Amino acid sequence: MVFLTALRLTRARGPDEWWRKRKVFKLAAFFYGRRRNCYSLAIRSLHRALVYATKSRALKKMDLIELWKQRISGGLESHGLEYWQFMDGLHKSNIQLNRKVLADLAAFEPATFESLSKIALDVKEAENDENSNKN
Amino acid sequence: MFLNKLINIARYPNNVNQLSNLFQRCLISSTPAAHNKLTVNKPLEFVDLKEGKDPVQNVNKKIQNSEAGRLFAVVQLCGKQFKITQGDVIMLEGFWEPTNGDQLRLEKVLLCGSQDFTLVGRPILQKGLVDIQATIIEKSLSHTRTHFKYKKRKQYRRINFQRSPTTVLRINSIEINNSVDQNEAQKPSDNVFF
Repeated sequence: MVFLTALRLTRARGPDEWWRKRKVFKLAAFFYGRRRNCYSLAIRSLHRALVYATKSRALKKMDLIELWKQRISGGLESHGLEYWQFMDGLHKSNIQLNRKVLADLAAFEPATFESLSKIALDVKEAENDENSNKN
Repeated sequence: MFLNKLINIARYPNNVNQLSNLFQRCLISSTPAAHNKLTVNKPLEFVDLKEGKDPVQNVNKKIQNSEAGRLFAVVQLCGKQFKITQGDVIMLEGFWEPTNGDQLRLEKVLLCGSQDFTLVGRPILQKGLVDIQATIIEKSLSHTRTHFKYKKRKQYRRINFQRSPTTVLRINSIEINNSVDQNEAQKPSDNVFF
């Protein structure tokens, strides 16, 4: 932009209004009703939407962890183990597969998953034996 | 369209007979021959060690005769675990040194499985047992993530845009090179940091 006087420079507010608003309208294009066409409404809901998007990136990770937990315990139902017993057994035998991979194995590699649950079951039984010996 | 054709056929009683014959032939037959075509995985059999059957020998024999078939593996890369098989393409996010066209051997193998057996690492399999070759096929940036913080009525607004480097990796091959329980002297934890 070219300014002939200093006064005009101070009055100029950034880029042209039309271009400034166009950026917002592009992002608000899929909103419902007047929020998509009416700037003052569009900018309000856009701010809210961007805040949601920022916060949900962390929430997504938490949701996925919940999903993996459910898938693992679903896979364990036929092997007579609970989620915490399975994870505890794997941890004690120093197997460091994470929940994402375990959920994948439960869904797509049932044979491998069954052998892992067998390992966890062995740990549990060994602990039970130790406890009964102490008593 | 299909319904219209059916109605056209149904106008003539002769055709209807033919049609019903056709449907009868299409019925799912429960003969053993039909069952044989389906491939259903056998239920797991656990080998009892007391009977003198050694699972390690059994697995080694399969490896030597190359009967292991297509393998899958779980590897750790850039702090994330991936379940991979030959020909897979995986994407890693964040800065990672290797560049386009680099050939890598992935060494943090947590698990390797085939149709008949699974090798489980504690936490990883011994070095040189499983050979996983990978090539880097793309280095680029992820989509733009908008980080926007906003407090209403407080004149507080921060906006940042962030793109992280990504690496796309192709898994060329997964092979078992050594027999199991051979190089016991070379333990994996000697050279690997977790």
